[in-house]
Amino acid sequence: MADATHHEGGHHSNTVSLLGREITVEGGIYTVVFGALAVLTVIEVVSAEFLKGAIHDAPSAAATLQAIKAILLLGIAIIKSSLVIWFYMHLREEKPLIAIVILLPLLVASLSIMFLLAIPPLGYSI
Amino acid sequence: MAELTADSLHAAAAHNDHGHISEEEHNNNMKLGVWLYLASEIVIFSIMIVGYIIFRINEKDIVAQAHDELGVALVTANTFVLLASSFFMVMGLRAMQQGNRNGMLRWIGLTALGGIVFLGGQYIEYSELAHLGIVLGFDDASAWSTFGMRFYAPTFFHGAHVFVGVLWALEVMRRGAKGRYDNNPIGIEMFGLYWHFVDVVWIMLFTLIYLV
Repeated sequence: MADATHHEGGHHSNTVSLLGREITVEGGIYTVVFGALAVLTVIEVVSAEFLKGAIHDAPSAAATLQAIKAILLLGIAIIKSSLVIWFYMHLREEKPLIAIVILLPLLVASLSIMFLLAIPPLGYSI
Repeated sequence: MAELTADSLHAAAAHNDHGHISEEEHNNNMKLGVWLYLASEIVIFSIMIVGYIIFRINEKDIVAQAHDELGVALVTANTFVLLASSFFMVMGLRAMQQGNRNGMLRWIGLTALGGIVFLGGQYIEYSELAHLGIVLGFDDASAWSTFGMRFYAPTFFHGAHVFVGVLWALEVMRRGAKGRYDNNPIGIEMFGLYWHFVDVVWIMLFTLIYLV
């Protein structure tokens, strides 16, 4: 997806270059992105169910498998979110100020979450 | 100095009143306003998400049991509906930018329908969970109640956003049908930013709450 580019006509074009190949489809890049989101969602759900079974079958490796599961699934979710923000919300066409406006709270929230998770007793009294 | 400031503000307002702000500037201001609003939403949802993550780390068994009860079939179908509605939304904006008002109304109508179907799915899910005893409660003695709090807070808050989005979509259609966006589709674009953001939040909630 990273090298998906438009042809003449910007986001109104039905033809996009994807991984070196030209694809013509109604809706152009928007349809391609939707297809990517659907495929990634299927991969996500299938991976989650597969790893859930693997964790159940191998309790001794549960911690490692759970970590792999979390990293893999969150990675896919971040890619999906980025596709929506970049293409559907047109962040790629906006001024850098808009990117700062949205990335700054994301950064602050992420740091805050990491800080909270770094406090061992947090949540134990729940 | 204060007078000078007031005068200059007045002069600036008069300047604006005479339409000296270009349409592009106006549109950029409107979009910046929506982006700033969405930035504040990130903070609100982050608080709910971190509440769930901490619970997830400390109460592995309850979450594992909840995952077994929840299943993924219905929520996966609902996720596809919301992803599709985001696609319909951007196609509606595209149609209006191409001067196709009827196309825009059709796509935005599908967006609203997607939101309604999503809310219907959420209602079914909540009903099933209530039957299992997973409720919104404050009873510390019940493990399900503590899970319910962490589960319902972000998902219901998200559902409320979808509901508002559906109403906004219907308003966009009403205005669009009158030709409000024929020359400047900024109103559709602003709604689109909101709707896609709701989609992005769901992408994260779906992964964090139902899959991880």
